[in-house]
Amino acid sequence: MIRKVMTGTTLLALMLGGGLLSGCSTSVERMAVEESIDLSGDWNDTDSRLVSEEMIRDVLSRPWLSEFTAQKNKAPAVIVGEVKNLSHEHINVATFVGDMERELINAGKVEFVASKTERGEIRNERQDQELNARNDTAKAMGQEIGADFMLKGTINTILDTDGKTQVRYYQVDLTLISMADNRKVWVGQKKIKKLVKRPGMRW
Amino acid sequence: MSHHRETARAVSLIFILLITLLGSGCVSITYQQDALEKHLMSQQPQQAMVALDALKLGERDKLIYQLNKGMLLRMQGDIKASNETLEQSKVMIDKLDAVSLREQAAAVSINDSMRSYLPPIFERAMLHCVMALNYLELNDNNSARVEALQLDELLKQHKEKNPLPFAHYIIGLIFEANNELDDALIAYRKAYDDYRTSKTKIPLLLQQDLLRLTEHLGLDDEERKYQTEFQLKQWPTQAALQQQGQVVAIIFNGLIPRKHSQEINAQSFNNGQLHRISVPFYETRSPQVRSATLIIADQRSQTELLDQLDKHANANLSEQMPAIIARTIARVGVKNKVVDNARNQSPLLGLALNLATFISEQADTRAWNTLPQDILIARSVVAPGRYDLELKLDNQRSKAWPEIEIARQKIKFISWYWPNSNVTGKRPK
Repeated sequence: MIRKVMTGTTLLALMLGGGLLSGCSTSVERMAVEESIDLSGDWNDTDSRLVSEEMIRDVLSRPWLSEFTAQKNKAPAVIVGEVKNLSHEHINVATFVGDMERELINAGKVEFVASKTERGEIRNERQDQELNARNDTAKAMGQEIGADFMLKGTINTILDTDGKTQVRYYQVDLTLISMADNRKVWVGQKKIKKLVKRPGMRW
Repeated sequence: MSHHRETARAVSLIFILLITLLGSGCVSITYQQDALEKHLMSQQPQQAMVALDALKLGERDKLIYQLNKGMLLRMQGDIKASNETLEQSKVMIDKLDAVSLREQAAAVSINDSMRSYLPPIFERAMLHCVMALNYLELNDNNSARVEALQLDELLKQHKEKNPLPFAHYIIGLIFEANNELDDALIAYRKAYDDYRTSKTKIPLLLQQDLLRLTEHLGLDDEERKYQTEFQLKQWPTQAALQQQGQVVAIIFNGLIPRKHSQEINAQSFNNGQLHRISVPFYETRSPQVRSATLIIADQRSQTELLDQLDKHANANLSEQMPAIIARTIARVGVKNKVVDNARNQSPLLGLALNLATFISEQADTRAWNTLPQDILIARSVVAPGRYDLELKLDNQRSKAWPEIEIARQKIKFISWYWPNSNVTGKRPK
């Protein structure tokens, strides 16, 4: 009888201890990258991915692409310029630009020119090759492809707040500008609206 | 036998209560911070950080730790880490903004420090200002602009009875640094309204900014209004500024006064019960420095007083006082009831509980204590080029920024924190 009581007590203590410990330990759950999770209501990876996919789909379906290809008989070379964050949040613009570059390259309809920073690094390597690499393997200077178009844009927000409830309106504007004559050949816009309700009470 | 059991019960209760009291923040935070302040005064932010880490701050005071750490990291020159720390503070504020029923209940039964520290609006505004200045000093004007928008949103949501002109002026500066002159004018106008509402002298820099931008944007009627009011003979025009570079120097001067508690103790004639009422008040301080000079080549610009944070701290405490007093009175009722019930069971138990409730009655003296008392500002316009910059305080101490590039149409921001100040009074007003 006493042993039974002891066993029961030990089991209860283990269960309670286990329960307490599981509440304190870090939990990690892997999930699909595409899965949409909104925790704070701020701009997140889902917004970045959805906006870049939709806008690049739009820019590649417009007449400027077919007109350029018909005229020049080649795919246009595009570079992504500055996307300025004019919003209320510290948005990581680099991941948004990265998402757009990926969409553009993978679509296979345009050639893509490396960014200013990347070009600098590659030029240094080319200079190094001129001095140190075998002649038949060294890459010559002055063979770069100049971009035909530059994609630039802004991310803006409008907030409407009433107490703990906030409507967040994001507007992403992108413009494709011809490098030859500064013509704007495409203007795209994507809007996202979120209703964020913060709790008024906590434990 | 029964008497012994009662005594043992009372003694164990006193023991438990003492343990609880020690853990419940009854040791006033004001007295714990002496070492931190001493190191701040001697311009030793690294040592101040060690003192901060040594403070016995609980979970409820974690936000105070973060805010102080952000300021000390800035003083050490680790501006990126300062902003990372302060950004975490913003996330914590968002979470703590919701009312905790558990903490409120504890505040009504033990003391106000049982609630998690939630900064008042002027401290939250300073949080954005410090972060914005950090970004500006890192030449990241876009991120400073994000802080300006967040600060503007905060000020819109909490239309203060006590306006915060420094906040609107810094928003204006950030928009100017981003060459958004119409938005800068809007912020300067709000700063002008704030100074007028608070019946404070409008800094000469703001007068010049308003005249320059209304003239530039063709707002003739408004410009005439400012001309009539300010009676300035001349001010730099926007056309002239666009050919030049600018330096803005901001000095965090003195240390914001600390909160202390004022206690009224009494003993009941009927039953000898001890009563205590404890409310916070701010000491008075006087910064050791009154002004500074920004020196660029042979050009000297004197600082102006942009704002006094101690005024905002006092105004905020006055605003909070009715609620503090209401909670204190409610606590007296709750504590009396508990002690009366205990005394009915056993006089010794009643005495133990009376002592515990008496000692636990402490005012909430928590605040962001590494903030400055005054904000001083100087602005200088120079031809584009490379310069040695120097800030010289009126106590002859100086700091140099050698070989700084000042570009055309750009504003270079520098800042210095000189916390030395003297306590001039420790009595409630």
